Amino acid sequence: MDSPEPKRGSLLGLAISFGRVSATAFGGGQMPAIRREVVRRNGWLDDDSFLEVLALAQLLPGSNPSNVAVLVGSRVGGMAGAAVAFFATVLPGFAILMVLGAFALDSHLPWVGGALRGCAAMAVGLTLANTIELTAKRINVVDIAIVAAVAAFVLVLHASLALTLAIFIPVALVLTRPKSEAS
Amino acid sequence: MTLRRLALVFTILSLLGFGGGNAIIPQMHADVVDHYHWITSAEFTRFFALGKLAPGPTTTMAALVGYAVAGLAGAVVATIAVFVPAAVLVYGAGHVWGRLRGNPWRERFARAIKPVVLGLLWAGVVTLARGATDAPITIGIAVVATIVMLRTDWNQAILVLAAGAFGAVVLR
Repeated sequence: MDSPEPKRGSLLGLAISFGRVSATAFGGGQMPAIRREVVRRNGWLDDDSFLEVLALAQLLPGSNPSNVAVLVGSRVGGMAGAAVAFFATVLPGFAILMVLGAFALDSHLPWVGGALRGCAAMAVGLTLANTIELTAKRINVVDIAIVAAVAAFVLVLHASLALTLAIFIPVALVLTRPKSEAS
Repeated sequence: MTLRRLALVFTILSLLGFGGGNAIIPQMHADVVDHYHWITSAEFTRFFALGKLAPGPTTTMAALVGYAVAGLAGAVVATIAVFVPAAVLVYGAGHVWGRLRGNPWRERFARAIKPVVLGLLWAGVVTLARGATDAPITIGIAVVATIVMLRTDWNQAILVLAAGAFGAVVLR
């Protein structure tokens, strides 16, 4: 991106670093683990560049860990680096999920069904808590109004994601414009 | 035909997936449960839970939807479709991002999209809850999970496992 001399690292190093995070970062917390590999262990990016990469990854569509992998990989090793880091991020989780899924979903044992119901209820609680925390950071009338309108639009009117984004991103751009420009 | 539909559904989700994985939950549910009836609402939330249990992005749950629809081939197609289009977009954007440095629109877009994504996350929570909190015990688990998560930094996967062990005994 904007660093004049991106550090060259081996493709193997990318595969090991991103593969290790992906295979071991259970239950969220992937981003701190990725930062540790990229900034501290390998020195591919400094902290400022990593934050820049993270900002772009969060802004664009796609899951944040795989987006960060693509951006870091491309700075370290071009297109091949991006591909290696990307697959190292997606493949371990995919393989483990397939084993878990094949066991859990094809099973007719009653305790497996009970375990899945318990896991699902827990996952709802975790997601609710996460969403409450994110909302608590944005206590102002405009943001809360947008949040409520988007949720109602989707849940009550069953609007599609495409339509929701097409309507509410422009609305939010107007409503959240900087004060200096508004006056 | 089914594989092509899987690919189409998840490619669109990939390209519209602003704000990380969970903002696409309502649309994914609308597609795979309400429209195509590939899986039930309860299965949807269980797949999400398994996605949380496995390491890596929760979005990998798309693999389980694909698996339920068309076996291993479906799992591979859904996973590629949900990850690769966004990754290609990000790769391209990485090269022009530096030139956008200091452009006020970059900041404004980043600012504007946050409450929109948050609204989608709330819709996602309700969507997931509809398929999972179907009895006093599961509602209780979800409430306890919410309180524990708000007050502690315990690992999410361990909490999901603990709820699974509890469910295996109590909800069988």
